Amino acid sequence: MSVYITSTGMFLPGPPIAVEEVEGILGAVNGKPSSLRVQIQKANKIQTRHYAIDANQQTTHSNTQMASAAATQCLDRAFVAREKVGLLAVATTQGDHPAPGMASMVQAELGLAELEILTTHGICSSSMMALKAAWNSLRLEEHEAALVVSSELASRLLKKQRYEAATGSTYAEKRIDFNTEFLRWMLSDGAGALMLQNKPAPKGLSLRIDWVRGFSHAHAFPTCMSVGSAGRVEDARTWQDYSTYAEAETAGALLLRQDVRLLDNILRMGVDGYLRLVQEGVSKPLEVDHFLCHYSSHHFRDKILDLLDAAGVGIPEERWWTNLYTRGNTGAASLFIMIDEFLRTDEVDIQEGQTVLCFVPESGRFNTAYMQLTVVKQ
Amino acid sequence: MNDGEILIDGAQRSQTEVERAEGIDLNPHAQACLQRLLRVWLGFERDLSTVPLLRRIDLGTYTVEDHRCLLLNLRQQVIEGSRWITRAASSFDRNHAEIRSTIIAHAVDEHRDYELLERDYVASGGRVEDIQAMERNLGSEALHGYLMHRSSRPNPIDLLGAMWIIEGLGEKMARSWADQIQELTGLTEDSTRFMTYHAHNDGDHMLRFYAMLDEVCVNEERTRAIVKTAKVVARLYRLQLEEVEHGLE
Repeated sequence: MSVYITSTGMFLPGPPIAVEEVEGILGAVNGKPSSLRVQIQKANKIQTRHYAIDANQQTTHSNTQMASAAATQCLDRAFVAREKVGLLAVATTQGDHPAPGMASMVQAELGLAELEILTTHGICSSSMMALKAAWNSLRLEEHEAALVVSSELASRLLKKQRYEAATGSTYAEKRIDFNTEFLRWMLSDGAGALMLQNKPAPKGLSLRIDWVRGFSHAHAFPTCMSVGSAGRVEDARTWQDYSTYAEAETAGALLLRQDVRLLDNILRMGVDGYLRLVQEGVSKPLEVDHFLCHYSSHHFRDKILDLLDAAGVGIPEERWWTNLYTRGNTGAASLFIMIDEFLRTDEVDIQEGQTVLCFVPESGRFNTAYMQLTVVKQ
Repeated sequence: MNDGEILIDGAQRSQTEVERAEGIDLNPHAQACLQRLLRVWLGFERDLSTVPLLRRIDLGTYTVEDHRCLLLNLRQQVIEGSRWITRAASSFDRNHAEIRSTIIAHAVDEHRDYELLERDYVASGGRVEDIQAMERNLGSEALHGYLMHRSSRPNPIDLLGAMWIIEGLGEKMARSWADQIQELTGLTEDSTRFMTYHAHNDGDHMLRFYAMLDEVCVNEERTRAIVKTAKVVARLYRLQLEEVEHGLE
């Protein structure tokens, strides 16, 4: 049983925000402009992004609303009745509520009656987890159609008040805390949605899902990107272990952190997984026409790419495509937002029969996910 | 969610390196071998993160004592390294003159590296007589025994797999250990010269390696032999690093 992506949708809140306007939205912590912002923004090269908070750090759209907006666009474009959708799978790093799962809230917002739901929790790769489960449920012929949504509202974690409240944190102690600021100038908000069906759309292009694979290396590495602990190696407590949530916030246990020293491991494990798929014969580098990656090739200016080229399995730069620079890094939502725009952009010539390789690396604790799609026409 | 560019300066390619890489044209067996070697390397590198002493570099708890312990244990491996590599050179017959020249040149480059290690150890607060009196640890015994055994065989082309792992580790020390060790311990560059020294000729070493691989890796049997030796060396090298904290008594 083949499964196809037959419709897509995305939602980006508010207007595009330029590099120099970002601090005006997230807020200058204690009224002082960040000394790391320019350096980090220069490195990630993101030109515009969107936020679901306003310049007073008030939420303009909930995560549920964004997910539902992307899902609605996807449903409106689909050649399938809403009643045929048997599964709603929703991925996010952090829903509006710690409980229940975000899929319940999105289902309610969309008014989809009596369908099966799934919430996947993680960071970037949670979208692939939701997609894979939906793909498999269609392959098992349990449903004819499944709606997969991924949505991120990172800005609520990144607004100035979070940092101002963390008076007992490493961020407050150090004059410059790269690990705590790194993601502040990286992540932004948005949602994407994909419709999966057991047959291609009657009109236009569909994407057949050939395979989805993932390799997690949490057993070997320490945590690299997280929320929930104070970022001190001697303190094993996580946020709910503090007497009050206020104490956890003061200690900095609710700040989003990235251990930048460990970062290059995610690229290396990404290459390892790719080589594994090549060696298994699952992925054939010469047949990849388009490579949709959570990053652009400039992030990977690493010697290991020379090795891939020397080994005859490098993917030429002209086959890489991303909209990260204009849509922002929206974490779990990024890939779906990318697929949606990829199918509509004039930048690439998409032909029936072409192969699309997708790659989602998650630095959280080093999970890598891959998917191959084939462009089909009914 | 990350940005691989920041703080990974050691991994950045210079323009010359990019140009060099573009000129590499390996035969299909050598390409397949390189793909498999890359995976052996990446698995080795990942598993090093589980070695307690090295995990402390990742966690930020690595101390001056840890550094002395590491250097103390590396010295024997470095001394033995120059021995197996010269032994390997002498095991190649005249039909392998090119690879023999390369290996001899390599041995000349590195056969006194242990002196750098001794100076690093002293700069880290250790006594030179302690490092000079240090025996091989259990993993070093196994690694050395294996490498001497393989290099004593006629035309031991599989040792390319050993060079791949050991050279790769030299590059990793320079790329990701040396700076972090200095930052975590407050030691200066005088304590990490052995680690950083390897980076200087790294580009040339890789080109030499590609040339050797292209020359000798011409069938599946040789690919298998090179990859297997790389796997054994990776496992024994990790054993050597796991053993650094175990006393010999």
